[in-house]
Amino acid sequence: MTTELVDRKIYEREELATGTDAVAHAVRLADVDVFSAYPIRPYTGVMDRLAKFIADGKFDSEYIIADGEHSQFEIAKHASSVGARAFAGSSGTGWLYATEALAATATDRLPLVALVGNRALDDPGAFGVEHNDAMLVRDLGWLIVWASTAQEALDTTLIAYRVAEDPSVMMPCAVAIDGGYLTHSQHIVKIPTKEAVQKFLPPYNLGTRRMHPDNPVSIAPQINEDWGMEIRRQNWEAARRARGVIYRAYKEYNEVFHSSYANPFFEEFMMEDAEIALIGMGTVTSAAKAAVKLLREKGVKVGYVKLRWFRPFPAEELRESLSEVRAVGVIDRDFAHGGPDDGGVLFNDVRAALYHSSNRPQIVDFIGGLAGREISIEDVARMVRITANHKGEGELVTWIRVREGNGAGMERKGGD
Amino acid sequence: MSGSSRGTKSEAVSTAEMEKSVLRLEVNYRGIFQKSLAYRITNDLVYAAHSEGKTAFSNGRYSDDPQRNGVPCANFAFFSDALSEDDLEAVASASMDIDRANVVVVLDDTMVKGLEPWGHYGIRPINEKVIPGGTLLIVSRRKPEELIRHLEKKTFDYNIAILPGDQSFAGLWYYRDDATDVRTIAAVARVAPEIVGIHSVEEYVKKKYNDAAKVKSLQEAYDSVVVREVKQSEGIAWPHSKPKLPSWDSFDEGIVVKSVERGFTLGPRGQNRNPNFKRGTSKTQRPVIRFDTCIKCTLCWYDCPDECFDPTADGLYDVNYEYCTGCGRCAQVCPVDDCIVMVDDLNFEDNSSPWEMYKRDAEGYVKWLEEKKGKVRFMPSPVTGKGVRHTEIKAAVPFKQDGGN
Repeated sequence: MTTELVDRKIYEREELATGTDAVAHAVRLADVDVFSAYPIRPYTGVMDRLAKFIADGKFDSEYIIADGEHSQFEIAKHASSVGARAFAGSSGTGWLYATEALAATATDRLPLVALVGNRALDDPGAFGVEHNDAMLVRDLGWLIVWASTAQEALDTTLIAYRVAEDPSVMMPCAVAIDGGYLTHSQHIVKIPTKEAVQKFLPPYNLGTRRMHPDNPVSIAPQINEDWGMEIRRQNWEAARRARGVIYRAYKEYNEVFHSSYANPFFEEFMMEDAEIALIGMGTVTSAAKAAVKLLREKGVKVGYVKLRWFRPFPAEELRESLSEVRAVGVIDRDFAHGGPDDGGVLFNDVRAALYHSSNRPQIVDFIGGLAGREISIEDVARMVRITANHKGEGELVTWIRVREGNGAGMERKGGD
Repeated sequence: MSGSSRGTKSEAVSTAEMEKSVLRLEVNYRGIFQKSLAYRITNDLVYAAHSEGKTAFSNGRYSDDPQRNGVPCANFAFFSDALSEDDLEAVASASMDIDRANVVVVLDDTMVKGLEPWGHYGIRPINEKVIPGGTLLIVSRRKPEELIRHLEKKTFDYNIAILPGDQSFAGLWYYRDDATDVRTIAAVARVAPEIVGIHSVEEYVKKKYNDAAKVKSLQEAYDSVVVREVKQSEGIAWPHSKPKLPSWDSFDEGIVVKSVERGFTLGPRGQNRNPNFKRGTSKTQRPVIRFDTCIKCTLCWYDCPDECFDPTADGLYDVNYEYCTGCGRCAQVCPVDDCIVMVDDLNFEDNSSPWEMYKRDAEGYVKWLEEKKGKVRFMPSPVTGKGVRHTEIKAAVPFKQDGGN
């Protein structure tokens, strides 16, 4: 005898799904009108699944295969400008090849939702996860959100459309999921019903901006110095307004799907009375949570913050969350060579946010998991130890699980 | 603490002291046709002033597009006998456009009708930047009064100076060396010796060109400049809209511009056109049309690259001068001798419909039009680089009573 595990009014079934399957379901359920594709691992999983949905008659959408990622994202951008709900996605250098279109999608204020299946940037060629690809668009007017489980990837893709298409936002949104770890591993995912999704997600409405024979408009004309600042300022305000919309979107999602997203921007794990906190994004969360639990059993007052929304960055909320801790360790699955104190991208964003904290905790950085390398529970435990013992002087960055030697060979490179 | 931006205390800074020694010069020219000429004038002025020990530099208005035929563009030059290069740059040129000038040079007198530079909208008066007591220096064969009747009335007195000469075309394709370059520099020395003295100009020109004719034209130009004060009571109420720039929170987001609605009816102004960008100030000449000799072949309407012709109910083609850039294509393709002729735009007061005038009084229109044509007829050559062909006027074709009906 089987037990009914899901609420049938909200969920049609459970499925053993990869992260890319989960995103494909969300795209189908959001009734996306146009999606464009060009194969690259790990994004390819979404293409395959959506093609199957169409072949099976479960999904009615224009599926356009481009000749490369630049065209792919141009297609999606233009589809969005005529009022079609659009989707596209890529990974690693494919995403970078689309950069010109990505920048224009943001400045044109078109609410495209895109998947970035995080992948190391070439060279050398590698499939494994690194976050630098999605981070490329962090300053361009893209919203960026990380999901760390397949269920969260599905939920977040639907929420991304809700936020991006809100009339007060109208910005593209990148949903990032770790290549390999999340895109290709299979977990039980609850698949919502279309009716429930329609309750949550209103139809895409571009209003008077919609390019159509009945509404002829020009998009993105050449402007001169008389206009540029005002247009950038509008976009800046929209990114600020997005914070409020994100709160509303998660509240509505919780109501429709009886889910329990508390703070939409990040999940706090064992942060009550924590003296030490680690913060990271993506699938490192599993190891981090396990390590925190084990250390708590030994009496170490440690907690973990799983950051979801990277843009807009929740500086105010993080200051609040980390107001009582004495030391913070940031886990960067990215690199920013030559950056401030040689830290990673996330490290310096978190550090900038905490600069204005009344209680400025010590903050150190861990660079790990690059090019798909694993981060283990023991690795996280080591990070906690280093964070707790750091005196705030000297090197702030520790490389995790990199093969270290005895330094022979460094002399001739002029390093000190 | 909150992450909101902290208020910055503004320091009371006055640039008045620095301003005292700053002199600004603007050179208005036509895109392509006069680009090289304008650059030579501002550059030579900088060199000549530099030879006097002044700090000076020049630049072109960055948002202009001097690679478009006839589009009004501007070059600037800045001078100071007290400031360092950095200070002069900071005081005079930290903006993309200037808001005032001691001398405004106009290399084509038809620009007195207004400027619609590429990338801007609305039409600006040519004397917009002239400061009280400053000078509007125009290369022209006209009398000051003929030009003042096109200028916006200002709230103060200033000067108009005429350097006798034709529109000189020294642009991207060829440099017609008619000495307009050195003559204009001499005229600047005449109206604003504080920018550069004529002796420094002479020394500079001698050294640069080693050409007796050039040096001679300097003195001729210096002596022939006519200067006259323009009283604040002189000029006209500006008939065009000027640029308005909205605040960031008062226009729609998303960089979308509503297209011109498709719309077409017969008659004057029958087609819908872009009200924000008309381009008509690009012209130096306008086509005038003898509707009475028109054979209704449609070629002017068909060939016009700017779609300025409006078919009328009687089969004729009215022209909307607000949008006409004066390219001369219609005059070139018209198969009837002297039916469409290009005429100096300064001969005309406004952009009203010629077809309406013709319908009101056909014979009066033809008489008026033939007077406007003047003594010399200009026709742009179809061969690039050959300049203009000056044609002595033939006896006008007599008015045809039943023409155009």
